[in-house]
Amino acid sequence: MPVSRRSFLGAISPGTAAHSPAFVAARGREAFTAAGVAAPRPRAAAAILLDSNENPLGPGATAMEALTRAFVDAGRYPTNARPSMGELREAIARRVSVKPENVSMGAGSWELLRIAVRLYTSSSRPLVTGAPTFEQPEKMAEQLGVGVRRVPVDKDGRLDLEAMAQAARWAGLVYLCNPNNPTSTVLPARAVADFVARVAQESPDTAILIDEAYHDYVTDPGYATAVPLALEHPNVFVTRTLSKAYGMAGMRVGYAVGQKHTMEGFNRWGITFNQNSLAVAAAIASLGDPAHIEAERARNTEARAFTTRFFKDLGYRVLDSQANFLFVETGRPAKEFKEACARRGILVGREFPPLHQTYARVSIGTIDEMQKAGVVIAEVLGGSRTAPAGAANDSRRPK
Amino acid sequence: MSFTRRAFVKTVGIGGASLLATRREAWAALFQAPGSARPPRPLLLHNNENPLGPGEAVLDSVRRALGQGGPAGRYPWEDVAQLHEAIAEKFGASPENVVSGCGSTQVLRVAVQTFTSPVKPLVAGQLTYEECAGYADLIGTPVRAIKLDRALKLDLDAMADAAKGAGVVFLNNPNNPTATLLSGDAVDAFIERVHSIAPDAMVLIDEAYHDYVTDPSHRTQAARAAKDPRVVVARTFSKAHGMAGMRVGYAIGHPETIKRLNWEGPNALNVAGIVAATASLKDQARLQRESARNTEARKFTIDWFSKAGFASTDSQTNFVFVDIKRPAKAFRDACREQGVLVARDFPPLEKSHVRVSIGTLEEMKRAAEVFGRVLGVKAAAA
Repeated sequence: MPVSRRSFLGAISPGTAAHSPAFVAARGREAFTAAGVAAPRPRAAAAILLDSNENPLGPGATAMEALTRAFVDAGRYPTNARPSMGELREAIARRVSVKPENVSMGAGSWELLRIAVRLYTSSSRPLVTGAPTFEQPEKMAEQLGVGVRRVPVDKDGRLDLEAMAQAARWAGLVYLCNPNNPTSTVLPARAVADFVARVAQESPDTAILIDEAYHDYVTDPGYATAVPLALEHPNVFVTRTLSKAYGMAGMRVGYAVGQKHTMEGFNRWGITFNQNSLAVAAAIASLGDPAHIEAERARNTEARAFTTRFFKDLGYRVLDSQANFLFVETGRPAKEFKEACARRGILVGREFPPLHQTYARVSIGTIDEMQKAGVVIAEVLGGSRTAPAGAANDSRRPK
Repeated sequence: MSFTRRAFVKTVGIGGASLLATRREAWAALFQAPGSARPPRPLLLHNNENPLGPGEAVLDSVRRALGQGGPAGRYPWEDVAQLHEAIAEKFGASPENVVSGCGSTQVLRVAVQTFTSPVKPLVAGQLTYEECAGYADLIGTPVRAIKLDRALKLDLDAMADAAKGAGVVFLNNPNNPTATLLSGDAVDAFIERVHSIAPDAMVLIDEAYHDYVTDPSHRTQAARAAKDPRVVVARTFSKAHGMAGMRVGYAIGHPETIKRLNWEGPNALNVAGIVAATASLKDQARLQRESARNTEARKFTIDWFSKAGFASTDSQTNFVFVDIKRPAKAFRDACREQGVLVARDFPPLEKSHVRVSIGTLEEMKRAAEVFGRVLGVKAAAA
């Protein structure tokens, strides 16, 4: 569907409103403050949010209905509320086909990633992670003074399992984000299983954390969850989040799956009452509505295909996304691209060294949002470019 | 109550003005006794919760903020900034004086994490809120547990003496589970003394029950904390604000302290909690009503135990600590049999004392009947 630039800007630009990103970018923060409004909140003011890999639709009607019903127990601790924290753990266990004792809850998977670094690394046992990959584990390692071995992704943006296996020797923890954020690529089930077996043999004390935050968005049939591996090995565990396909980033629900003894370590370190009772109710409702997640996956797959085609048509290489975001070789610094988009009301992903000079991460919103964002992005990129190596034989040209 | 999707959209969605009446009715129905298939639950007098919750106005602000659900799918980091502004405004401080967490539990843990170590112990009451000592055990920080005095108050002299070389001195005021308060003057003098004995020690004051205090000698240390790099005050929305299920707490401190306490960032905060807390802060009248309600029910409960021959401490909180002259466990088990939950054991006083949270006056009257039967008190005495 063509979107004329004029109607598009009419729809998304708050014009000269003092809170618009355009105003802030053009006149600076001081002018913003002088205009008599509160501190700038770029996200609140932006028209389209493609910067945080969120589900643009939120959790859906079933979950919101349950959330609202839970209002009556908002004053009770999450163990006393109905439904309770414990019931959420059971619902997750059912969904993943494990026992409740194989599940540990977190305030988002973020909390569990940090606990994993605490539990399994030390000053003499470093963290092995991808470069680039989700930064939370290495941030935690740095906060704890733990060494980090960063293993660059391969030329297709996949985690380099061969190099990571070598780096895993004597390491405390290997962080495997699958699909990998920000490169969006997935590792086949077979490769993950081989990797786990190899590390178990070559460095049996090394733990492996497989972060499946984007699990529900994968469409590649070669992928499979590592939950069975986690149940098999005491040093292997999987984290998941309801912040992505479940649309609950604002509600803070994540979980880990592994052997009972492994999960007990996480339980000990978790924040007391790390689930709020509204999220508990919404999450249980959502887990009981798999058709909703199917629909969200289909919606994302369509918008992802549209956006991938859009960038390819402009002549830009896009890595094979199995998530709700794209990693695009824009051939220019991510910071520059991000700022130019933000000035026009579109927020895109942050910098991901070491690929920040040439790649940008763009989250997938609704088709409508992607069409509108496309107009801005095309303008920022200056239209099509000479096809880079990856798209040299691509016959599709910009329309 | 059956709640169809259609009704939900009308209730929770951004319906037109014509839907307003329907919406109001459906909204009110949310707060009526739940008519679900679940069995009635016991009286929950074991976790020091506000039995009324945050109230409809606060929850209505959450409903409005979440709309049809889209905002629940967004990371709420910018909303955290708004919450910090609201908290700062309440204390006449700046947002640089504020850090928030997933309940005050997260804030307390981070404080222990940040300011103690295997060679910088935690000083705490022997019988006080356990979060700090529990976390100290986890991270290998030694705990100096200081006995309470005869009035079951934190022993400030002994705690100050123990502060030398400590990383954190934890003061829960009023103190959970003993319900007792230390006066503003006593806490002021204590802080000065700790500063002179242990200039590097952080005085961590947990004022979770602040809004329930009626003793006029009480003073918050929040204003001091904002200026003093060695004092930090923790607060929670779980008690008088009635938001235990929504997980928001915060600390007030010097900007340098707050920077260090921001160790985990805002990642554990949820959008509903943030919105509710921000709205709740702006309704001081509700807090005063809640305090008055609690004070009345608390007085009833203390008087009831007193007439039955059991002394309570001078409670300045939403719970009472009662000398029932028998083990808490037997009492607790017998009460549970009759549909009333009271708190866990609190060693070393678990053989004689029990903690009972204050529910509504009506709930306390019902609970008193059960207590009377369990304790063998004649109705006339009560």
